[in-house]
Amino acid sequence: MFVARSIAADHKDLIHDVSYDFHGRRMATCSSDQSVKVWDKTENGEWHCTASWKTHSGSVWRVTWAHPEFGQVLASCSFDRTAAVWEEIVGESNDKQRGLSHWIKRTTLVDSRTSVTDVKFAPKHMGLMLTTCSADGVVRIYEAPDVMNLSQWSLQHEISCKLSCSCISWNPSSSRAHPPMFAVGSDDNNVSCGGKVQIYEYNENTRKYSKAETLMTVTDAVHDIAFAPNLGRSFHVLAIATKDVRIFKLVPMRKESTSTGPTMFEVQIVAQFDNHNSQVWRVSWNITSTLLASSGDDGCVRLWKANYMDNWKCTGILKGDGSPLTGLSGQPTAMSTMMGSSVQTSQNAINGMSAGRYFFPPLEPPTVGTRYGHLLPPSSLIEHCEAEPVQPQPLALPHRLSSKTLLSLPEAEGQ
Amino acid sequence: MSGSKPDILWSPHQPDRFVICDSELGLYRIGPVGSAETKAGTLPLSEESAATLLAINSDTPYMKCVAWYPKHEPECLLAVGQANGRVVLTSLGQSHNSSCKDLVGKEFVPKHARQCNTLAWNPVDSNLLAAGLDKHRADFSVLIWDISSKYSPEASVAAEKIRLSSVDLDSSTVVTKPLYELGQNDACLSLCWLLRDPKLLLAGMHRNLAIFDLRNTSQKTFVNTKAIQGVTVDPHFHDRVASFFEGQVAIWDLRKFEKPVLTLTEQPKPLTKVAWCPTRTGLLATLTRDSNIIRLYDMQHTPTPIGDETEPTIIERSVHPCESQIGSFAWHPSSQNRMVVVSAANRAMTDFTVFERISLAWSTTTSLMWACGRHLYDCVEEGAEGVESMIEKDIATKMRQRAQSRYGHDTIQVWRNHVLAGGNDPQLKSLWHDLFYMKQCAEDMELKLQGNKQSVVYSGIKNIVKTSSGTTESRRCWSGSDRQTDVPRYHSEERCLALRLCGWISRGPEIDMEAFLRSLEQEREWERAAAVALFNLDIRRAIQILNKGATAEKGDLNLNVVAMALSGYTDEKSSLWREMCSSLRLQLKNPYLCVMFAFLTSEPGAYDGVLYESSVAVRDRVAFACMFLNDAQLPRYIDKLTNDMKEAGNLEGMLLTGLTKDGVDLMESYVNRTGDVQTASFCMLKGSPGEVLKDPRVQCWIENYRNLLDAWRFWHKRAEFDIHRGKLDPTSKPLAQVFVSCNFCGKSISYSCSAMPHQGRGFSQYGVSGSPTKSKVTSCPGCRKPLPRCALCLMNMGTPVSNCPGTGKSDEKVDLTRENKLAQFNNWFTWCHNCRHGGHAGHMLSWFRDHTECPVSACTCKCMQLDTTGNLVPSDSS
Repeated sequence: MFVARSIAADHKDLIHDVSYDFHGRRMATCSSDQSVKVWDKTENGEWHCTASWKTHSGSVWRVTWAHPEFGQVLASCSFDRTAAVWEEIVGESNDKQRGLSHWIKRTTLVDSRTSVTDVKFAPKHMGLMLTTCSADGVVRIYEAPDVMNLSQWSLQHEISCKLSCSCISWNPSSSRAHPPMFAVGSDDNNVSCGGKVQIYEYNENTRKYSKAETLMTVTDAVHDIAFAPNLGRSFHVLAIATKDVRIFKLVPMRKESTSTGPTMFEVQIVAQFDNHNSQVWRVSWNITSTLLASSGDDGCVRLWKANYMDNWKCTGILKGDGSPLTGLSGQPTAMSTMMGSSVQTSQNAINGMSAGRYFFPPLEPPTVGTRYGHLLPPSSLIEHCEAEPVQPQPLALPHRLSSKTLLSLPEAEGQ
Repeated sequence: MSGSKPDILWSPHQPDRFVICDSELGLYRIGPVGSAETKAGTLPLSEESAATLLAINSDTPYMKCVAWYPKHEPECLLAVGQANGRVVLTSLGQSHNSSCKDLVGKEFVPKHARQCNTLAWNPVDSNLLAAGLDKHRADFSVLIWDISSKYSPEASVAAEKIRLSSVDLDSSTVVTKPLYELGQNDACLSLCWLLRDPKLLLAGMHRNLAIFDLRNTSQKTFVNTKAIQGVTVDPHFHDRVASFFEGQVAIWDLRKFEKPVLTLTEQPKPLTKVAWCPTRTGLLATLTRDSNIIRLYDMQHTPTPIGDETEPTIIERSVHPCESQIGSFAWHPSSQNRMVVVSAANRAMTDFTVFERISLAWSTTTSLMWACGRHLYDCVEEGAEGVESMIEKDIATKMRQRAQSRYGHDTIQVWRNHVLAGGNDPQLKSLWHDLFYMKQCAEDMELKLQGNKQSVVYSGIKNIVKTSSGTTESRRCWSGSDRQTDVPRYHSEERCLALRLCGWISRGPEIDMEAFLRSLEQEREWERAAAVALFNLDIRRAIQILNKGATAEKGDLNLNVVAMALSGYTDEKSSLWREMCSSLRLQLKNPYLCVMFAFLTSEPGAYDGVLYESSVAVRDRVAFACMFLNDAQLPRYIDKLTNDMKEAGNLEGMLLTGLTKDGVDLMESYVNRTGDVQTASFCMLKGSPGEVLKDPRVQCWIENYRNLLDAWRFWHKRAEFDIHRGKLDPTSKPLAQVFVSCNFCGKSISYSCSAMPHQGRGFSQYGVSGSPTKSKVTSCPGCRKPLPRCALCLMNMGTPVSNCPGTGKSDEKVDLTRENKLAQFNNWFTWCHNCRHGGHAGHMLSWFRDHTECPVSACTCKCMQLDTTGNLVPSDSS
């Protein structure tokens, strides 16, 4: 069961991106107010803003962390056509004691002639590399040859994707069997332009990135794209936010040692969900790529999980404003509201938005005997999931509002 | 407003009031659903809100447009434009103070009657009301009325005329002389006052957009365009204006008024309303006819007047507030992104909030952060306790919990690892038991044969039975029955080993299952025990076990019935018993009871009913196969089962594959399915050091698992894992990371230590050295020059430090035992990589507890703050 609580963000305009660092103890947010904020988590689980500074002269679209091995480094990209690299330094004053840290700009990447829509660091094993994509359809890969000097970045590759790019994702696999690979999505609205997701792979021989695959079935504008953490799997999983949530599996075909071309992939669509009813804006994988979160125009965050048969289904719906926690005063009310809402939902569903917000249907425990039994197709599973949201056990409710359980992490409890 | 089609207006000052106007005006108050004032008559607008009807006004027929007076006082004053061009002031509800009384009922009458299309109150000069009218010959179409103007005598003649047509009106309330008359010989379809200068009025005329200046009414700026409907100024950028024509919206910048700065994608149906969101910059909502969708355009940039040739970023969205067709909508003036939507048909209202695009991210510890608008939400998975909840937990959570319970680290009682993992995963239970039996056999073999049989044990039953030779066949009596059976049983050394790996027999040459049966009885696995006894051709023992199961506490009495059925066993081919057993056995729920009868009723050598019963544990089926399948059948069955297991990624199959390449294949599909690299890593480390560890896939799992531990800040667990791995895979040991060289001779000060192993490995151990021939502990072992001094105690390094640090705080005494334990560590060298000052680790630590700067005079280095990661606390320390 997931429980939301609000954090006073204090951004003056819309927040466009949230990004955790490698350890999950720091967080960066960026906003239309042209600033980036860095947050640190205290031992008791509270987030404190330790830095906030103006980064660009336009909306900041995305912010991302480098692996801590390279220091405390952030990259941001903006409507002002630039991307920037930031590093935390120990200030002259006793800033740290006051809970503030100091970030300085190490470089500004000015190669794009249009809005830079996404910025991502390449996986750690490739060294310190930064990728940007921009509205003019160009992906740029920069490298810091000297990781001690973050002010020097050389533009290593410039890849034209022909379509306005909106998002980029690196394949995080560190296996030597998988050459470096990234996927780029386009928000071009024109359906006739063909596939909106392109996958590029590094070729050791030509030392260039070349297109390995275009997902021709994705023809609508793509807003976000995310490779799942590979975790030693033999295939790659890609989540796409377009007019629906889609999960693709890319299975590399066995390659003959002589062939030098890009890897051939068997592309399978694993799941496709239109529960957001409209555009899906973001997708994000958890660390083991067993949970996917998506957000859409219905104002909800949805959680997806696969069962042991690789059937994905919705395991949770959370309202985007976290309203239940703030709006409910006592537990009895909470229960009745939930019951009431479920009834109402079936009649005049406001975009599926009201659908039992705290409903987390328990997954059937994998019993030995029913290995191949009664599996419904994914869509009907979802129907089923929304039809009976009265499920949440009343026992779980008293816990929900107690602040202790909210703040402490499971790991802390184990001590 | 054409009769039936409703419109909504929010009160400019009371955030809970709005007016719906169609043929009459209805004033509503919006409130939370559960509030005490909720009465039966409320209309639900959403889950949380409901509206109460406060007042209805049907005094003004033929309404065409309505505008709400923008000032606080009088509240609820509305201007209504009628089909005949008159503008009437009217009020809704309570407030009947003097100023309001004067105004309510006032009428503003144009010279020629024609439809009034639009009304707009001046936002600053609030007694100015602009009305846009249809064309009437050469007459003016934009009239600006002063509502405070009194009845004008010069207009009395005209007023008289009008009185003839509307008798009920008081002549003193009729105004016929507008303050300004604009837009001659034209029609006006939409109007709005410009916010940057309240003397300017923007009007959508017949074929142009015109800006009139009240200071100089003879002049106007205009641009020819078709997009003249619904002009509206962006409340956040006063130079930005939207207007529409048919299905197309044009956005204008008043600073370069020649052409639209952009036009939005054309809709197939004509638009009916376009409105800027008052609470959020750059959000424009549009509505087309006969639609249940409100389309939103998110203009995510600051408009610049000149010199910006880039296309602005516009994100198109659509929201779907209700199922029915939308008549109109209105943004709430102050609530963030909130609007009320009214349906075209039945005045059904919906309270609706447009959510911002939510961006989200998972943390490493399975908590979800998302940003919606300007707010952040942290969402954590609640740690639900109990075995049941463990099943539905995500593998990431499971792995974290298992890492903390030292899962995988029990190298003696290997099977215990499944208990450490939570003890409720049958596959893990099977896997760790397999590994336990393999280890047992391997140790045993070594003692017995001294040969290299170990690899055979770990190569899995699949390989073991392949090499099987010298199989003997035996026919044994059913014990407890005097009949000679024709059930052949096969024996060989390899099959015996396989049975041991299955856990059916323990060491020793004899096939003695009694120990196994007793342990099963202890585990209360009655059915399984009975089946094993039966497969051992001991029908009496099987019956005995079933009886025990039936009489045991919470036992199943049905077992007695099964025992009864069993006791009737006959090998008569055509007996009723046989017939009934083979048909009724399928109704038995317990797979073991089912296979018992399958075994009894099948022909020798044709045991498919047992072998392919997938609910029976693989180990039991394999053990059965090893006993009853001949040399031709056995490898075929094992191969098939192995392939099935590999495909399914079922860890029970590890028994068959062993820790071979096949095993890695099986584990690969398990990892593909579950992502459980933890089990994969620990399992592969259990085997004999061999090829499997060199497999790139195994290395990849290990790396991924270590990376996970790092990301969770389980550094201690990672280190323990590395130690564990180093024991089994010596190649993974990292080389020494740091060497300290002497200032004088340049030799490593530890170099000589390793050259003289009898002196101990660590430098700190020098302190106890008593021999005069050995070099002094505070000097370089190479050149005997003294080592540098500690910046705090100013002693040469190598001196044993006292246990009580210099600060001498009282509470540190309590910690004395702990300090004693750390004494060795306190002696260690430490230094700052930045300023290269250092000293004894203990001294340094206690210094930096109270200080931020380096203890060396005039050095301002903030040694302890340099490394952010260094300040992170491992989350798995006790």
